[in-house]
Amino acid sequence: MSPRRSIRLALALVLLVASPALLRPQAIGPGFELERTGRYADAASIYFTTLRSDPTNLPALLGLERTLFVLNRMPELLPLVQAARERLPESPALRSLELRVYAALNELDSLETIARRWAAGAPQSETPYREWGQALADRRLWDEARRAFLAGRHALGHDGALALELAQLEQRAGNWEAAAAEWGRAVTRTPDVEPNAANTLADAPAAMHERVAHVLTAPPASVRARRLAAELLLAWGQPTEAWGAMQSTLAPVDSDTPVALRRFVDLAAAVETPEAHRVRGLALTRWADMVPWSMGSRARAEAVGELLEGGDKVAARHVLEGLTGDSTVPPEAHAAAEAALIQVLIADGQLDVAAERLASEKTAITADDRAGLRLTLAQARVARGDLNRAEAALGNDSSVVAMAERGWIALYRGNLPGAMSAFRAAGPYASDRAAATERTAMMAMLQRIQEESSPELGAALLTLARGDTIAAIAALRRAGSRLPEQGGRLEVLLLAGQVAAQKGGEQEQAAIALFDEIVRGGGEGAAPAAAELEWSRLLVRTGRSADAIPHLEHLILTYPNSAFVPEARRVLERAKGAIPKS
Amino acid sequence: MDDAQTDHLKAYGLTYRAIQAGLKAEWLLNYRGGSFLIPDLDALRRDAALNGIRTEPVDSAMTAVRGEIEANNMDAVPLEKAPKIAVYAPPNAAPWDDAVTMALQYAGIQFTKIWDAEVVDGTLRDYDWLHLHHEDFTGQYSKFFLIYSGMSWLAEMVQRNSEMARRLNFATVPDLKKAVARGIRSYVDNGGFLFAMCTATETIDLALAAQAVDIAATFADGTPIDPDADAKLDWTKTFAFTGAHIETNPLVASFSDIDGHQVNGGARRQPLGAFKLFNFSAKIDPVPTMLVQNHRQVIPDFYGLTTSFTRDHLKPGVTIMGDEEGAPWVKYIHGDLGKGTWTFFGGHDPEDPQHQIGDPATDLSLHPHSPGYRLILNNVLFPAAKKKELKT
Repeated sequence: MSPRRSIRLALALVLLVASPALLRPQAIGPGFELERTGRYADAASIYFTTLRSDPTNLPALLGLERTLFVLNRMPELLPLVQAARERLPESPALRSLELRVYAALNELDSLETIARRWAAGAPQSETPYREWGQALADRRLWDEARRAFLAGRHALGHDGALALELAQLEQRAGNWEAAAAEWGRAVTRTPDVEPNAANTLADAPAAMHERVAHVLTAPPASVRARRLAAELLLAWGQPTEAWGAMQSTLAPVDSDTPVALRRFVDLAAAVETPEAHRVRGLALTRWADMVPWSMGSRARAEAVGELLEGGDKVAARHVLEGLTGDSTVPPEAHAAAEAALIQVLIADGQLDVAAERLASEKTAITADDRAGLRLTLAQARVARGDLNRAEAALGNDSSVVAMAERGWIALYRGNLPGAMSAFRAAGPYASDRAAATERTAMMAMLQRIQEESSPELGAALLTLARGDTIAAIAALRRAGSRLPEQGGRLEVLLLAGQVAAQKGGEQEQAAIALFDEIVRGGGEGAAPAAAELEWSRLLVRTGRSADAIPHLEHLILTYPNSAFVPEARRVLERAKGAIPKS
Repeated sequence: MDDAQTDHLKAYGLTYRAIQAGLKAEWLLNYRGGSFLIPDLDALRRDAALNGIRTEPVDSAMTAVRGEIEANNMDAVPLEKAPKIAVYAPPNAAPWDDAVTMALQYAGIQFTKIWDAEVVDGTLRDYDWLHLHHEDFTGQYSKFFLIYSGMSWLAEMVQRNSEMARRLNFATVPDLKKAVARGIRSYVDNGGFLFAMCTATETIDLALAAQAVDIAATFADGTPIDPDADAKLDWTKTFAFTGAHIETNPLVASFSDIDGHQVNGGARRQPLGAFKLFNFSAKIDPVPTMLVQNHRQVIPDFYGLTTSFTRDHLKPGVTIMGDEEGAPWVKYIHGDLGKGTWTFFGGHDPEDPQHQIGDPATDLSLHPHSPGYRLILNNVLFPAAKKKELKT
């Protein structure tokens, strides 16, 4: 060997020896690949080879932890880990690995000895206890893991120590109350874990909700624990209880309070019940008191809408009166508050006061809001049977929505062509889909009636609109009986039957009698098929699927071209149990 | 039944009921996407009308239809006897857990649920057709044991299987499932028709190959998997597969490398494509022709715990009936064993491609033309075909 070549070789050797870190990925890379393809024994050989030259190579040791576990050869790993730990006694990763290996070997006494020895060297650290407990928890040894964590808590002398680990452990073990108590400690100590706590506890079974909430709210629960309970109760669809928990944390106000309350407001927006709207309105009102006025006034306007949605008119009016009477409120907020107040007055039945405020030149309500309020006022007048003032409330509004409302007013007066004409002019896009569908159904009924005027029918429909269902059913029957069988009678009776079926209870028999009369009437209109479908649905809904089947089969076979046949087939399949209930 | 048909799936039920009533029917293979010829009777017309099935009277045109069949790659196969159908499922399994029971319920075809006891005690031989779906015949609870630990449905599954093993005097659930797999193999060997989907396809073959070796993880039978399991598997006992490698990691819900898609295999998971049905000679190969009757040739793929079958692990002699062109896997295969036949169809639910645990049930009234479900129903009617006509 020439001197120059021997120098090159020496350099190469030095590089190899001096740069193990550079070589590690290359050396154990094939091991990962073999592991990925399921060749665990071959992967383990690669890791063993790596450790022979580099006994503290952590990726190789972790690779052996994975592969030898699958191969049921964990005893081979222990001496390697012990040797590595002796070389690097300060390495938490090696200490943790050693604990996990003892746990995998089910040598629980040794595991505890090693963990306590580690803890003695780091008396202020949670890590040894965390790793000890975690190694046991991974083996599903819940009781032993709990003992390890609690030993740590005792040794460290802090009630919140290892709370996060204990919370997760209790949850894995299915102990929801204990998990809640630990999460309460965890959020008290470390606020950042609150979203994690809420997400995790939200999965508690319904039967445990009350107990979990109690654990988090009962004295001496911390403010953060009670806020966690509020968030959970919202997630479980109990907004009033949630607000109760949240309210208890609002005094005295500290720097966290507005943020926590705003989070509560935002979370409440995800619940679409009147109760949740009300709670959100109350929370917004409180939040508005804690923030600068410009933000607060917007929040109050939003709170009014929420309180109205939640049916709390008193609270809404209280907020509004504060807003409308305040000259410092910006004009747009003032206008919004005025519109909302008129809405409240209408909802509260104070129609004349509302009409007066609406007509006032002083208010700066936007044109859209004004039109909407006129319509609401007109509908409220209709609900009282005051058709003239309802029409007057609409004024000269030429929008399609007002046109549709004029159609209903004409219909209630018995002016059938007027109603038809107004509904046609309103078209299919006025108001929402349900309203458009209702108008279309009414036009289909009116189309079959030849009479120009029918005050009886108008009065019956007005009774229905005013909510007197039972009287409306009788009135519709009377109005229908005055019409020719193929000239609208069956269609009006169908409406009566549908209303009776929807009412349920004692009216179900009335509905069935009406459907029976329509089906026996037959004819070319859509009413017989529709009546038979409604009849069948009523039977299925009341648990009489077997009785519904002959009706559905009769419908399908008698009216094969009816638009109701596809739906009748679905109901039939459901009645027979051929498709799942949806 | 081409695109003019208003409910492809229910048409199978109508035909089944016709032959069940003792009437003659014919399966017109490849004629307008595969059609059925049934007698023009009031009762059948009524049945068709109620179920929204389109029927067309042929009368004098039948001569022309037969001429067309004779002149093309088509054939008319008589359907004579409605097969008696058994579905292998745990006693309390909802029909909506299983694509085949859903198809049978929707089409109005009667079936009986059987489980381990009926296979072990030999009751199975009373049936002509057996369906398996997502049973794990390796006895590892679909390897959900660790992943879904704590879930009530899993606890119930473990309890139910353990009780059955005890009742039938087996030491472990994997031992029970191996015996059940043997029973099913014997059923086919003696002339039964087997149709399997999803996990059942792969795991029944693994269970048959592993009669003398432990391939179940510790959580299932208390002992670790034999480290040399791969080498000890006996593939001569299996229906379709050979030379596969067992997935030994208990945390990966995959059984072997038979499945090409590895839906729960992490980085190994493959995206869904579409599979294409093969064309067979109707007059020479009526069996696979029957099994691929459809109004679509290319069908969107769908996942299951076993989605597809890798070509490398198919036994020689297996008939591939549907595959994804250019992919190393196939979707739909068929073969003979003794006097019987088997068909394996990968995936869980043809109309729920990503099917997750807890998903709502598929409502087949929203998918009356489903080509994937049609393949399932081909298998239901195929045993009704007159045997002497079958040339393969």
